[in-house]
Amino acid sequence: MYYYIYDSFLSDKKYRKLLAQIETRLTDLGINGKINRLSFLKNIRDLITDEIKNGQNTIVVLGNDSTINKVINIIADLDVFLGIIPIGKEQKISKFLGVPEGLAACETLSARIIKKINLGKINQSYFVTSLVIAGRDIILECDNNFVINLEQYNHIEITNKHLFQPTDQLEIIINNQAKKFFFLSAGSDISRFKGQSLLINSKKSIPILVNDEKRIIKTPAQISLKKQALAVIVGRSRQEQPPA
Amino acid sequence: MFKESPGNPEKETIIGPSVRVEGDFIMDGNIIIDGTVCGTIKTSKDLTVGKPSVIFANIEAGNAIIAGEVQGNLLIHNRLELKATAKIFGDVATTIIDIEAGAILNGHCQMAEQEKSAKPSSIKQEKIALEDVPGSKKSKKINIV
Repeated sequence: MYYYIYDSFLSDKKYRKLLAQIETRLTDLGINGKINRLSFLKNIRDLITDEIKNGQNTIVVLGNDSTINKVINIIADLDVFLGIIPIGKEQKISKFLGVPEGLAACETLSARIIKKINLGKINQSYFVTSLVIAGRDIILECDNNFVINLEQYNHIEITNKHLFQPTDQLEIIINNQAKKFFFLSAGSDISRFKGQSLLINSKKSIPILVNDEKRIIKTPAQISLKKQALAVIVGRSRQEQPPA
Repeated sequence: MFKESPGNPEKETIIGPSVRVEGDFIMDGNIIIDGTVCGTIKTSKDLTVGKPSVIFANIEAGNAIIAGEVQGNLLIHNRLELKATAKIFGDVATTIIDIEAGAILNGHCQMAEQEKSAKPSSIKQEKIALEDVPGSKKSKKINIV
């Protein structure tokens, strides 16, 4: 059973025609289902968990990366499938999963190629592709084996590469952004390694970009990889690595 | 020089000049170190220690090129190459060794026959305590690096 969630920005007039076309196409393909439009007054978690209790097993998101992230954080621990109909800007995740934008996504949904993907996890939140941390005086503890103390200003990117491979690890790239003089950078100073879990410690709370969305996360922050965490309906043109 | 790894930079671990690693640094692929490592370094593949790096660790690797300073024992299963700028303060066990003029090697050197790779028997790979490492957070002495 298909359950469709429309992001709140889709209530804009300019999407009316496209949504009507999508709904008609879904009916033609025989995969239409209950629709719920998000708004500031509705709690997305309550909506989804209630529908799953009522027997819905395929949650289809109409929206962008931000909408997908919200839904993933709710359904990652549940035994359901995620479908995507990408509409609007910011479509990194759907591109990576090979789902075409707009009306064409209905065919992908109907073909129902299901792949399980790994999800990154920071404290209690999940992320699909990457997270970025920038700051100084950060201590990284990797796989409980070794510790890296970053006193200078660094840009740390943690990427969930090769989402479809069950054995893969998180890739950690540390780019030292400290300036040698007022404006001259210290040159190429990049470190890169892989690990399955990472503990981030800092005296202050640090801003973290999770899937391009800025969040303030309290430290210590535990980052790990949940293998084969979510079953997603993907397209044939899915990429083996997230787009840069 | 040993064979360069086929062009797959993803399988390489890189430690940049500004990074200091403390603990057991155990990896599957090639390792390139330009920073500081205290503890243990272990890989079955190739290890490259750059000129600016300082290592306070026991090292075990398949092949190694050393251009920096290493304070610890080296167990290299195939080929060890010491560049002119290399400084080794520890025992070495390897199968093939190539020392460039100017390199410093202070320690015992044990060579195995090519058929039998270097055995660790005579080199005790005792863990380097972080308390003994200058500049370490656990160090008792205060050192300016």
